[in-house]
Parts: sequence; C-alpha cells; structure tokens
Amino acid sequence: MSSGTEHEDRFRRIYAANFEALLAYAVRRVAQHEDAADVVAEVFLVAWRRARELPPDDEIRLWLYGVARRVLANHHRGGTRRERLGERLRQRLTGGTAPAAAGIADPGLEVPQRLAVRAALARLGDTDREVLTLTVWEGLQPREVAEVLGLSAAVVRTRLSRARTRLRELIGDDPQAPGHVFDVLTVPAPEEGR
Amino acid sequence: MTDEHLDRVVRDADPFRPELIGHLGGAEQTLLEEIMSVPQLESVPGPAPEAAPAAPRRRAWRRLATAVAAAAVVTGVIGASVLLRDQPPAEPWAGPVGLPEAGAGGGYQLDLKAVEGLPRLLIQQDGWKVTTVYGFASESGTINFVNGARSLEMTWYQDEHYDDYYKDRLLVSAPQPATVAGREAAVFTYSASDFAAMLKPQDGTFVELRTGGTWTRTEFDAVLPHIARADAETFLAALPPQIVTPGRVHDEAAKILTDVPMPPGFDINSVDVAGANDPYQFGAHVTGQVTCTWIAEWIRADKAGDDAAVKKAASALRSSRNWKVLNDMNAEGDYPEVLWEVAGKVAGGKVPEWYKDGLGC
Repeated sequence: MSSGTEHEDRFRRIYAANFEALLAYAVRRVAQHEDAADVVAEVFLVAWRRARELPPDDEIRLWLYGVARRVLANHHRGGTRRERLGERLRQRLTGGTAPAAAGIADPGLEVPQRLAVRAALARLGDTDREVLTLTVWEGLQPREVAEVLGLSAAVVRTRLSRARTRLRELIGDDPQAPGHVFDVLTVPAPEEGR
Repeated sequence: MTDEHLDRVVRDADPFRPELIGHLGGAEQTLLEEIMSVPQLESVPGPAPEAAPAAPRRRAWRRLATAVAAAAVVTGVIGASVLLRDQPPAEPWAGPVGLPEAGAGGGYQLDLKAVEGLPRLLIQQDGWKVTTVYGFASESGTINFVNGARSLEMTWYQDEHYDDYYKDRLLVSAPQPATVAGREAAVFTYSASDFAAMLKPQDGTFVELRTGGTWTRTEFDAVLPHIARADAETFLAALPPQIVTPGRVHDEAAKILTDVPMPPGFDINSVDVAGANDPYQFGAHVTGQVTCTWIAEWIRADKAGDDAAVKKAASALRSSRNWKVLNDMNAEGDYPEVLWEVAGKVAGGKVPEWYKDGLGC
C-alpha cells in the first residue's frame, strides 16, 4: 500500500494533466458556463475520494470522462450535490459565453455559422451526437469513445458514420445558413437552486 | 462535403475556447485545494446493490466500479450500474467467457428472457421491417424500422432519465399530446419533415420514436396508431432473420467462421455475443474474439520460442484479409480495416499496445 502522500501527489498530477480537458468537456455540454464549475468539481471530487483505486494513468482521462457523463446526467436532472466546491471557479466562468467571460474577442461573423452547426448537432440522436463530439471536440479515437460510452468500438464506428451523414444532411453544403438555432446541445436550463 | 471538412466545421463550432484557461485567475488551484481538504474514503463498504454480475476477466474493473459507487453514495451523483459499462477489458485477454446456461428450453429461452425486459414495440402495419437492433440486452437500446424511403427509430432508455430527456426535447419544440401503444406520449417537431414522439415510462423504461427520411406530420400521425406492444414471442418473430439473437449465436458463429482458421483450444460454443446484433455487429464480435485468441497464441508462442506456432499464428492472422465475413462487412464500417491493421502488425512481429481496445478483446 502506498502512502497518503503518494496518493496526494498522484492526484495533483492527474488534476493538473486533466483539468483543462474536463473543463472543456463540461463547458461544451452545459447551458451556462458557470455550471461547468460544478461538473468539474464533482468529477474530481469523486476521483479524489477514490484516489487509492483509480485506473492507471493512461486510462485515467477516459475514466474521468465516464464519471463526467454521469455527473452531467445528474446535473441535467436537477440533481443536488452534498458538497459545494468550486465557487471561485464558478465566479470566473460566470458571464455567459466563454469568450465573453474571458474577455476574448469573438469575431461576430463566425457566430451564426457556429450556432447553425450547434443547432444541427442538437438535432442528432443523443448517442450519435456524443460519438461525434467526443471524436471531434475531445479528439478521441473510436475505441476511446467506445470506452467512455460503454459501447463496442464497432458500434461507435457505425454511429460515427451515421452521425456524419445525418449532420451533413442537416447543414447541407452551406453551414452558414442559421436555421433553427439552439445554443445548447443537450441541456435544458438548470433548475437547481443557486 | 468530405468527412474531414465536416469535422472541421464541427470543430469550429466548439463552444470551448482554450483561452478561457488563462483567465481563471488561479480558481482551478483553489478548487484543487478545496477538493483535497475533503476526507477520502478509506475502504469500500461492500458491493453496491446495483452491481451487475461481471464476467471473470472484468473482475478488476468491477472492484473499481464498486468503489466508485461507494464514492457516489457520498457525493450523491452517480450510479454503479452505468459505470460498470465503462470498463476497458482487464489484462490479459483470456478468451471468450461464453453465454449463460440456456436452461431446459435451449437457445430460444435465452432469447425470450433477453426480450422480457424490453418495451417490445412493433409497427403492426404492412411494409415495415426491422433492419437494425442495438442494445437489446442492456438498459437502453435501439430498434430501427424501415418502409421504403422512410424509417422510424425506436430507442429505449431507463425511466430515471425521462425527465432529463423530456426537458431537453422541450428545446426542440412545444410538445403535442398523442397516444402510442396505449401510453401517453408527446410529439416533438424537429422540422416539417422530422418528428419524434416520447412515451411516458413503463416497466422501468421509456421509448422515444424518431423519424428518418422525409415524413409529413400526417404520415407520422397515421403510423402512430399501428405501434403496439408485442409479447416476447411475437417480438422475436418480427426480428429479421439476419439479426442474431442469443439463442442463435453458436450456429451463426459456426456459419461465418467456415473459412476462418481456429486458434488452438478455441471453442465456438464459448463465443460470447450478448444481445441481438445485426450481421455487422455480430461479425465484429465473433471475428474479434477469434483474432484476439490468435494474437494471444502468437504472444504465447513468441515468449515460449515456439517458432512453428508463431508462424502458424502469423499465417492465420494474415489470412484474415480473405475471411469472407470481413470482406462482407467492409462496405458497412471500418472494423475489418482495424482488424486487418492489427493482424498485419502482429503477423509482422509487433503487437500494437492498443490491440485489445481496437478489437474489443
């Protein structure tokens, strides 16, 4: 059995190596960016509490994504948490879109196109959309997507092909056409109390 | 638009901007310290009640999932059963574990048992055929019906997710009431030619129907009354012959493996393919298990210095290029390409680290 300090050191390493990826994962899938703070806090809290039994380093990120999926599902259901951590992070993320919150210029011309694509993504089936976004946004290989979603790699490949075909149909050859716009992919406005 | 172009368009629509990280003002470090000030769990308080029976080769991950379930009790966030599905296979590949005992009724009893817990909705109108089934034996799944250029996909989910999905669909359109298979349902309009209907939960699941191809609302409304819940036998009979159910796994495996060399000790009766699968999925499961076993044999022989066995395994793996089942599957997806790549590398003397994930070993 390794010492507590070793577990702490490893957890710090895991946190440092995966914080950005998990924040990005959460920001992409919540209605308000500040809610990503709750998701990230919850995911790493689960990892911290089980720091002695975590998977090896090369499997940890996919495992964290898997935990994040469950946390998000609970978040979407308006689930409550016993812990309230990450208040400062929440404040830093408060303010609407990520670029606005970060004071970053967001070229206006790009917005309609992005929103149109997000609207089209919102119209895919849930699993197809997650397969495609894990592939493109998180940069995962089909076998990794399969691990996160609990599917076989073969199913993921089929789903990915279908998702691309359907998305192509939805956005046509002109992704700039705004169409019916949703700014959020899967998530209703959270109802839990603040 | 090519896949690459499409992916680029999706990438451009990524809501996350990496620059955000630079504007957190140290909040991420504060969170780290907050988390690490929370007491850790020192021991795992027994198996989680939701934990599903695990195959032997997955035992290590089951332990971890149980541990995570224990953590979830504390934080109140996640369930064990879902985490259990996120397990990579543990080392080493020990061969297929086989299907559960079928009991006195043989394979058909397995099939009946497998569909018992499903919603079992069918479109009882001429012209509709089931083309694809995913899931089937798990907590959520999909069955796709096709009639000419139109299709209707039915996906079932655990009932605990109903509110989440319903709220999500409210973003699509206002719901309109309907009745489907005797259940109250809500129809959502994605576009003038694309509709969905979400049924209220029943027996632990809820079902969502979604159109494919071009529909009118009138056509959609006309089909809904023909959707009915079927008994297990009727449901099974409605599945097309190419869908391989648990009771037919061994016979079908034997058929597709006719021209495939069998690894030493490989028993077709131990082939392990859960649920109902279309030929592509089934072929991937079965050829994956054979190939994984050949790779395990190659590794064994290589370690033992058994040159004849290494050559035999390499030759068998190279022959995968000619396996009929893989060539039949090749137009439909990438699994054969992945298998051939792995098989070629192993036959060439190098076992890719990711082979188990790639093949689903």
